[in-house]
Amino acid sequence: MNTDDFEKDLQRQPLRSVPAEWRQPILEAARASAPRHSASTVAQPLAWWRELLWPCPQAWAGLAAVWLVILFVNGAAPDSGKIESAAQHRTRSSTQEIVVALEQRRWRAELLASLFDPPPVEEAPRPRSERPLTSVMV
Amino acid sequence: MPAAVDLERLYDAHAQALFAFLLNLTRHEADTRDLLQGIFVKLAREPALLEGVREERAFLLRLAHNAAIDLVRRRSTREKNYEQLAAEAVPVFAPSSDLDQQSFRQALSDALRELPPDQRAVIHLKLWEGLTFEAIADTLGLSPNTAASRYRYGLDKLRQRLRPLYDEIK
Repeated sequence: MNTDDFEKDLQRQPLRSVPAEWRQPILEAARASAPRHSASTVAQPLAWWRELLWPCPQAWAGLAAVWLVILFVNGAAPDSGKIESAAQHRTRSSTQEIVVALEQRRWRAELLASLFDPPPVEEAPRPRSERPLTSVMV
Repeated sequence: MPAAVDLERLYDAHAQALFAFLLNLTRHEADTRDLLQGIFVKLAREPALLEGVREERAFLLRLAHNAAIDLVRRRSTREKNYEQLAAEAVPVFAPSSDLDQQSFRQALSDALRELPPDQRAVIHLKLWEGLTFEAIADTLGLSPNTAASRYRYGLDKLRQRLRPLYDEIK
């Protein structure tokens, strides 16, 4: 048998036709599942958003995701005001601590000095002699 | 927003080809109807599917092939007795009043059923859709060489199987 003839004979065999009674129910089922184009209050904004985002929905979705991440990170981290006030508080408290420590050291030094090295007794001013200085010398 | 699909036009233009292809792959009339309806429901739900499609027929045949392959896979895992159902003769070709022609069509239908689904799909698209190997490859997601080799293997099997009857009729 010739290959070309065989192929041509196979091609000539007519395939079964699609049953005519299938057309209506299949098309009805398809129409029923089609999205509605109503101008309802909900559908209208949705359609507008779809129209806006349609050219490249992935890009818009990616952009939105990046913004969400930024907002999340920003919300999770302490804000700059808090950082500033905490730093100020820390500086102020450390200054106070230094002042108190210096004060304490000074008191301690004075205390120690008073214990081991009593302050020289101040000589009471000599009473003035009644005699004149010349008379003493003589 | 993509425009609504003209379902009637699509059905009238392509339903016959899709039906024959699906019937040849599934060998089950009810499944063929379900798959055909599924394709049109999908098109109605997602009108954007057809946007930018140059060859509607090839695109729809690809949808049909994917749907049929999914069904065959589900079948093989779900229903063991499905083979028995598939073995029942579901005519793929139109009946003929000529007895020789009728017996040849029946034999051809049986021989096609015995082919692996991959070869059967290529044979169907080549012989009854008249697609080139490039178009078949594009439709089935193959390389053109694979499509051509599957066609040759399938055709050889059909020739061997049908040779006695073919020679007798001719």
